[in-house]
Amino acid sequence: MDIFLQQIVNGLTIGSLYALVALGYTMVYGVMRLINFAHGDLVALSAFVGLTVYTQIFGESITALVAVITVFMFTAAIVAVVGVLLERLAYRPLRTAPRLSAVVSALGAGLVIQNSVMLIWGPNMKIFPSNIFPSTIWEISGIVITFTQVMILGLSSVLMVGLYFFINRTKIGTAIRAVAIDQDAAKLMGINVNRIIMIIFVIGSALGAVAGLFIGAYYRGVTFDMGWMYGLNAFVAAIMGGIGNIPGAMLGGLMLGLFNAMITGYISTQWAETFTFVLLIVILIFRPTGILGEKVAEKV
Amino acid sequence: MKKMLPKFAASLAVCSALVSASVAADVIKIGVQAPITGQYANEGQSIDNGVRLIVDQYNAKGGVLGKKIEVVSCDDQGTAQQAAICAKKLVNEGVKAVIGSYTSGATEAAQTTYFRAGVLQTSDGTSDSLITHKYWTFFRNSFPNSAEADYTAKYFVDVKKYKKIVVLSDYSSYATDLGDATIKALKAKNANIIYEGKIKSGTQNFTATLTKIKSMDPDVIYFSGYYTDGGLLRAQQIQLGIKADFVGGDSNDNPDFMKLAGESAKGALLINVPTPDILPYDIAKTFLVDYKAKYNSMPASIWSLMNIDGLRAILFTMDKIKSEDTKAISDSLHTLKDFQGITGPVTFREDGERLGGGYMTYEIQADKSYKIINQ
Repeated sequence: MDIFLQQIVNGLTIGSLYALVALGYTMVYGVMRLINFAHGDLVALSAFVGLTVYTQIFGESITALVAVITVFMFTAAIVAVVGVLLERLAYRPLRTAPRLSAVVSALGAGLVIQNSVMLIWGPNMKIFPSNIFPSTIWEISGIVITFTQVMILGLSSVLMVGLYFFINRTKIGTAIRAVAIDQDAAKLMGINVNRIIMIIFVIGSALGAVAGLFIGAYYRGVTFDMGWMYGLNAFVAAIMGGIGNIPGAMLGGLMLGLFNAMITGYISTQWAETFTFVLLIVILIFRPTGILGEKVAEKV
Repeated sequence: MKKMLPKFAASLAVCSALVSASVAADVIKIGVQAPITGQYANEGQSIDNGVRLIVDQYNAKGGVLGKKIEVVSCDDQGTAQQAAICAKKLVNEGVKAVIGSYTSGATEAAQTTYFRAGVLQTSDGTSDSLITHKYWTFFRNSFPNSAEADYTAKYFVDVKKYKKIVVLSDYSSYATDLGDATIKALKAKNANIIYEGKIKSGTQNFTATLTKIKSMDPDVIYFSGYYTDGGLLRAQQIQLGIKADFVGGDSNDNPDFMKLAGESAKGALLINVPTPDILPYDIAKTFLVDYKAKYNSMPASIWSLMNIDGLRAILFTMDKIKSEDTKAISDSLHTLKDFQGITGPVTFREDGERLGGGYMTYEIQADKSYKIINQ
């Protein structure tokens, strides 16, 4: 039983990372009907930016909570700026173009970011210092959970719940939903659509940046091409939950993490990915819009 | 390109110097085929430097068979195409023996050319396919994966007396090979392997596999893959509180293993041939001092020293049988017994395999240094 619970902890940890990244995909898709393939590379970029900020500005020896929070804020801000630039340069000029052009532009932008990371930081694996979070480990009746895992689970839950209320309870959130439903009608209502899209990219990129930093702090080793793997998993998570749907992305991410851990734990590593994609296909057959689905009804 | 130019110019200068010198017939030529430029450049340069150092030392004492030795280097860039060109070039130069190359691929591409020309070749490539041709010209100066597997099995069963063994590898051909060889060797010793698994290299999250392993309560987790995954495996093993020993194969022997594992690196065991600085032999210590004095750096890795041992065995045999006939040298090399090498005793099998295997087990200390715990 404790093995089962341990696998749940394992799955939820990686799952919440997927969920954070998936939110970036789903928000952009919800508003712009565009799969932002460069999003995974923003995650990788944030890990490198965070590492540089941490080691260069603060020095490796500092573990103070203030320093860690500053690194998170600073990195999220930088990556958010990159996200906004990405939208300005790669997506806005193509907003009226056929959708395929935008997808190709997204793939290209992803390569540009990935290769820039490689050119700036080099092709070798970079390693995060081990003292970003205290190395405390709790053991509760056989189930092990680390401080870093608690931080990942805690902070990502707070961010996700916060985002949910931001979208559903605030004025800007209402504007975002309005733009998602109909851009032209939103414009007629006096909503600045460009500004809303910018906000979407700021939030999505910042959440991705948090995920990137967590990956660095938890797994320590970061490579310039790691965005592809996390991006792909998060993309699958977003589709599973229903792309365009914010609670769906969270659910999809957590489900994907849990499902992977269970298959690896009880069947084998070899089969984990196969089963994941079989599950995706099954979900799409029975619920083509994902588990929670995009709230199509609102469009009517 | 700028960086490469001086090297290129230097090698050109060396080549032209050699061409003019080759008019004098009273020299014995030794070829070096190594990746002097390209991604393995530091290994290739180290092999070239080492060979030249040994040859200088020989020449200072009057060379072999009363003749001076001359080194002809060819840069194979670690690629099969360049290796084939180098092989032809070195054969045309009339070398008696070739040292190298560093990679198994470049070595294999040149093997047949040397065999047809009757030129001796000694290389550190570990791929098992290198000795399958049974060329009388080829001598492997390193140890194959199966030797490491045998050592590991012996250590696990006879020394550590592990009762429950977990073997993990990844999907790369090297790690799969080493993992399979280790499983085979363990089974031959009737060891109890409770889990054979694979992890997907680069996925970073191995907690699910490790949690499954935890439930089996193993004595040891052996990992045959690379340090980038090994370091994380070790960190996550400690994090999950799995009490088992962690033993990593030779590709875990890298400073990044320690960085990735962080504090968890302490107590992890690594199996590899000795690193140059801890070779216990006097001859090795002298060589390293001489190397440092001449090049103001250490050899890139143990592989350079393996190649040097191949060269030393050949020169020693030439002197011993007083002949520069390669077939005679080869026959004598095959009967060479426990020749004192820098990397340990050198003995060649009939098919050119180096016998033995100076494998050791290191324990990583709290200060990230290695302590030899089994030889």
